[in-house]
Amino acid sequence: MFNLSTQDRGKRSSWTTILQKPPRILDVLRGSFLILISLSVLAPLAWLFLSSFKTRAELGQRPPVLLPASFGLENYTTALDSFGFVTYLTNSVIVTVGATLLTLVINSMAAYAFAKYNFRGRDFLFVVTLSTIMIPIQVILIPIYQAVAAMGMVNTYWGLIIPAAATPTGVFLLRQYMLTIPDELIEAARIDGMGEFRLFLTIILPLTKPALAVLAIFSIIWRWNDFLWPLIVAQDSSLYTLPVAIALFNSQLVVPFNLVLAMSVLTILPVIVIFLFLQKSIVTGIAQTGLK
Amino acid sequence: MTKSSRKAMWRPITGRHIAPYLFVLPNMLIFGIFIIWPAINGFNISFYDSNNGRTFTPVGLSNYERILSDDVFFQAATNTAVFVFFFVAISSSLAVVLAVLVNAQKSFRSFFRAVIFLPVLLSPVIVGLLWGWILQRRSGGLNSLLELVFGFEEGPGWLIDPSLSMAVIVFVGVWTNVGFYTLIALAGLQGIDPNIYEAARIDGAGPLQVFRQITLPLLAPTILVVLILSIIAGFQAYDFIYSLTGGGPYGSTMLIIQYIFESAFQPPIKYGLGSAAGVLLFITIMVITLVNFIVGRRRGDV
Repeated sequence: MFNLSTQDRGKRSSWTTILQKPPRILDVLRGSFLILISLSVLAPLAWLFLSSFKTRAELGQRPPVLLPASFGLENYTTALDSFGFVTYLTNSVIVTVGATLLTLVINSMAAYAFAKYNFRGRDFLFVVTLSTIMIPIQVILIPIYQAVAAMGMVNTYWGLIIPAAATPTGVFLLRQYMLTIPDELIEAARIDGMGEFRLFLTIILPLTKPALAVLAIFSIIWRWNDFLWPLIVAQDSSLYTLPVAIALFNSQLVVPFNLVLAMSVLTILPVIVIFLFLQKSIVTGIAQTGLK
Repeated sequence: MTKSSRKAMWRPITGRHIAPYLFVLPNMLIFGIFIIWPAINGFNISFYDSNNGRTFTPVGLSNYERILSDDVFFQAATNTAVFVFFFVAISSSLAVVLAVLVNAQKSFRSFFRAVIFLPVLLSPVIVGLLWGWILQRRSGGLNSLLELVFGFEEGPGWLIDPSLSMAVIVFVGVWTNVGFYTLIALAGLQGIDPNIYEAARIDGAGPLQVFRQITLPLLAPTILVVLILSIIAGFQAYDFIYSLTGGGPYGSTMLIIQYIFESAFQPPIKYGLGSAAGVLLFITIMVITLVNFIVGRRRGDV
C-alpha cells in the first residue's frame, strides 16, 4: 500500500525489475487516492469561482447549473462599488501592511537579542515568548479586550494592528535563522567601532532577508484572514476588515448572495496569488519551524 | 575631541550591556500588555461579576460554581471535547498517511503537496461560508450532486440535523487544516535516513511493515509536534464555525470559544462567567500540552 522507495531513484530500477507488478498496482492506488483528495480540495473552490459569475436567478436554479451563462464581470464590478466593499478592502490592506511591518521590526529586534547576546534574563524571556503560543488570543478574549479598551484603542487601526504584531512564532523563526550568522562578523564590526543598532541595521538585517521574507508572507496571510480579533475591536462598520464584513453579509442576508460570492473570491485571490508565486519559501518556512 | 570623549561616555549605555534589553523591549512590551497581563487579569476577572465591563463586583468562586452547573457551558464543553478529539485524531493520522503517500509519489509530487496545503491559506470565514452553501439541504451543491448521481430525492440536512452537524464541523476543520500538518509530517519524513529503508527492503519487509516498524517510530517526534499544534488549533477553532453553523442547530456545534465570545459581547453580558470559561479552557490546553510533551519525551528516551 505504501511505496517508500523514492528516496533513491537511481537504485530503484533493480527493485522494480524484481517486483514489476505489485509496485505498479500500488502506484495506481496511491495516485488515485491523491487525486481524490485533490478533487475534494479543488472542486469546492472551482464551484465557488464558477458560481461567482452567476446571476441571482442562476444561483437559485434547481438542480444547479455547473457553468454560468456568461463570464461577464457584473458581479465583480457591482461588488466593488457597493456595500462599502472598497472601505473594507482598504481597511484590510492597512491592517495587514501595518501589522506586518510592525511584526518584522519588533520580532527581528527581539530575535537578534535572543540569538546573539548574553544577557541576564534572556532564557527566561525567551521561554515566556515561546509559551505564549499556548495562550491563543481567543482564550483570553475578554481581558485582551479590556486592555485594548483601557488604552482607548477600541475602534482604531492601532487596536487592530498592535496586539497581534508581537508574534512568538516570528521571534522563533528569525532567532533560529540568526543563530547561523557567524559571531566573528559581529565582533569585526564592533572592532571597527560600529554601534550596536547600526550593526543590527546594516549587517544583521540584510543577512536575515530570506527569513524576513518568509515571516512577511506568513504575517500577511495571518492578518489578512484574521476574524475574531477585528470582529471585537472594530465595532464601527467603517473599520471592518474583509472577513468581518463578509461574515456579516453572509448572516444578515442583505447583500445578494452572488455578490457575497464575488467578494469571497476577491478576498481569497490575493492569498492564492501569493501562494502560487512564493510556494517554495512558504513550504520551507513551515518545514523549518512548524509555524502556520 | 569632544566628540570622541562623548562617544566614550555613551558607549557603556548604548553598548552591549544595554542593547539587548532595548532590542527585546518593544516586543516584550506588547506581549506584556496584550498577552501576559490579560492572561493574569482574566484569572482575576473570573472572580468578579460585571454586566457592562466597567463596574466589577467581587463574587468569590461563584462564577465557577455557576459555570459548572450551567447547562449551556456543559454542552459547549462536551462539544469542544468531542470536536477536539475527532479533529486531532483524524487530521493527525490523515496527515501522516498523506505525507507518506505524497513522499512516495514520483510524478506531480509538488502539485499534490500544493493542493493539499491550499486550504490552510484561505480565510476560515470564507471556508465556512463556502461549505455552508455547498451543504445546504435543498439547493446545496453536495445534495444536488447526490441527487444527480444516486437519485436521492431529499439529501441529508447536513447543517440542520443536530446529529450530523458535529461531523460536518469536524470535516471542515480537517479540510482546512490537514495540509498544514501534512507539510510538517513531510518535513519529518525527509529527515529519515533513506539507508534504513534500503536495509528494510533488503531484509524483505513489505510496505505496511516498513510503515509500522520504521516510518511511524522514526516519525514520532514530528507526530508529537503535529499533535500539540492540532490540539491547540482544535481548542481555538471558531472562525469557520461562525460562518458555517453559527453554533447551531440547537447549540450542537457551539464550542467554548463561542461561549466566551457571546458571554462578553452579546447581551446579556456576563464578563465574569466568560472569563471563568477562559481560565478553565486555558488550564485544559496547558495540561494537555504538557502531558503530551512529557509522555512524548519519555517515550522518545526509551
